[in-house]
Amino acid sequence: MIEFNDVSKIFPNGTVALENVNLKIEDGEFVFIVGASGAGKSTLMRLLLREEKVSSGVLRVGDYDLTKIPNYKIPYYRRQLGMVFQDFRLFDKKTVYENVAFAMRVIGEPTSVIKRRVPTILSIVGLVDKYKNFPSELSGGEQQRVALARALANNPRIIIADEPTANIDPKMKMEIMNLLAKINSKGKTVIVVTHEKNIVDHFQKRVITIRDGHVVDDRIGGMFDDENV
Amino acid sequence: MRMYNIGYFFSQAFKGIWRNGLMSLAAITVLLSCLVLMGSFSLLVYNVNVNIEEVAKLNEIVVIVDTEATDEEVEALSGKIHALDNVSNVVFVSKEEGLESERSRYEEYSYLFDSIAENNPLPDVFKITYEDNSRVANLVYALGKFDHVSKVNNRTDIANDIESIKSGVSFIFIWFLAILFVVSIFIIINTIKIGVESRSREISAMRYIGATNFFMTTPFIIEGIIIGLISAGIGYVLQSTLYNAIYNAMSGEYKMIAVAPFADVQNYILLGFVVIGVVAGMVGSGISLRRYMKV
Repeated sequence: MIEFNDVSKIFPNGTVALENVNLKIEDGEFVFIVGASGAGKSTLMRLLLREEKVSSGVLRVGDYDLTKIPNYKIPYYRRQLGMVFQDFRLFDKKTVYENVAFAMRVIGEPTSVIKRRVPTILSIVGLVDKYKNFPSELSGGEQQRVALARALANNPRIIIADEPTANIDPKMKMEIMNLLAKINSKGKTVIVVTHEKNIVDHFQKRVITIRDGHVVDDRIGGMFDDENV
Repeated sequence: MRMYNIGYFFSQAFKGIWRNGLMSLAAITVLLSCLVLMGSFSLLVYNVNVNIEEVAKLNEIVVIVDTEATDEEVEALSGKIHALDNVSNVVFVSKEEGLESERSRYEEYSYLFDSIAENNPLPDVFKITYEDNSRVANLVYALGKFDHVSKVNNRTDIANDIESIKSGVSFIFIWFLAILFVVSIFIIINTIKIGVESRSREISAMRYIGATNFFMTTPFIIEGIIIGLISAGIGYVLQSTLYNAIYNAMSGEYKMIAVAPFADVQNYILLGFVVIGVVAGMVGSGISLRRYMKV
């Protein structure tokens, strides 16, 4: 479970990015986080990744209290998350296979396990045939699928996707979102930050709307509310 | 650290060098250029010192023996001179040998020497070479104190000049070498830093996956060490080839200056190149990565 209790984030220059945010996301939920640029979505993501510390309040993810976690434990916490970014953040100089395998190397999986598991994950995202390719040889949609495969490599409890469909063609957008829905159906928590109204409206999942650092709307089966955003 | 990670780190380091070929090539080129420059300068300093010492060896003290001294007394004086400290060689030139030497020096007028052969006015002399210029004054003093020594001729002024030139040259060269070393390390570290920073996206992606600092930095540090070793190896071959070419060109029959053979210094050069190469590679990678090691 992810729990924000009165979480605020104030940057050293005085900017209030989030103020008294209260949220609960249960295990296995699919949540869209929507809001205009500068609303506080990115800060929320950065807090979840523990790239930033909360200024006040309590933020818990599973067994971890992110307000108290020591620095040396942060890499181990992040292994519970699968991150997908709008700019993919793949390793340009590694092949598709190596990109996925790297995530498993990080947690110390032996080569025999990696060799067995990587093809399975690549088959889930439909990229088995392209395991030898470098990211530069793939389309935007394919690169995002590699990113998704890498996020899934260590069987994380939570998938966080930050604008996962922003840099890919319209046809591939639905494919990526369907993949995320499929992953969610296997019991994983999926959090998607997006601007895309048609995607939010299509999936009819829980929608959390953030404006000026506050949660202004939170409803299950919600729609992208232009007025709130 | 699990054993299979060691192999993985090395394979990642080699792949990193290969796949970032241009930056690796730039780092190796800069590193080996600096090493060869430092090596050449060190060899120059070494050879200048060798030559100054050679010049110093030409210095000699001439002890003129009293013409009244008997053969036994000359023999005893020879023993005392040999026993002195700071004496490297003693050559005895008898009055007869002295006359012959003068005769051959002025060959055209050798007949003039016939008239003085019966009553040779030249004294017996000892020509002494010494080891250490800085202690020559003590030696001259000791020689002057012996019986049957009529005069001690020496060139203390030249000895002192050579000693001060040697100290001055060493001082300037050592400072110059130190500056060159610092500048080279700076250039090397910066080149490696550019290479690492060109991969900043890769490093930040590693953090999001949950890689520990150790896992992220180790392949880069190994990469730096490998680049250092490759540069040291190529630099050493280049240095020895260049030096031997110069050595062969300058070691003719009528050579004006002495050039020390590369074999005299090859171990020091190799050790220096490997240590500087590896340390520069490692420190360069380490410094560059430090800024990415935040959580």
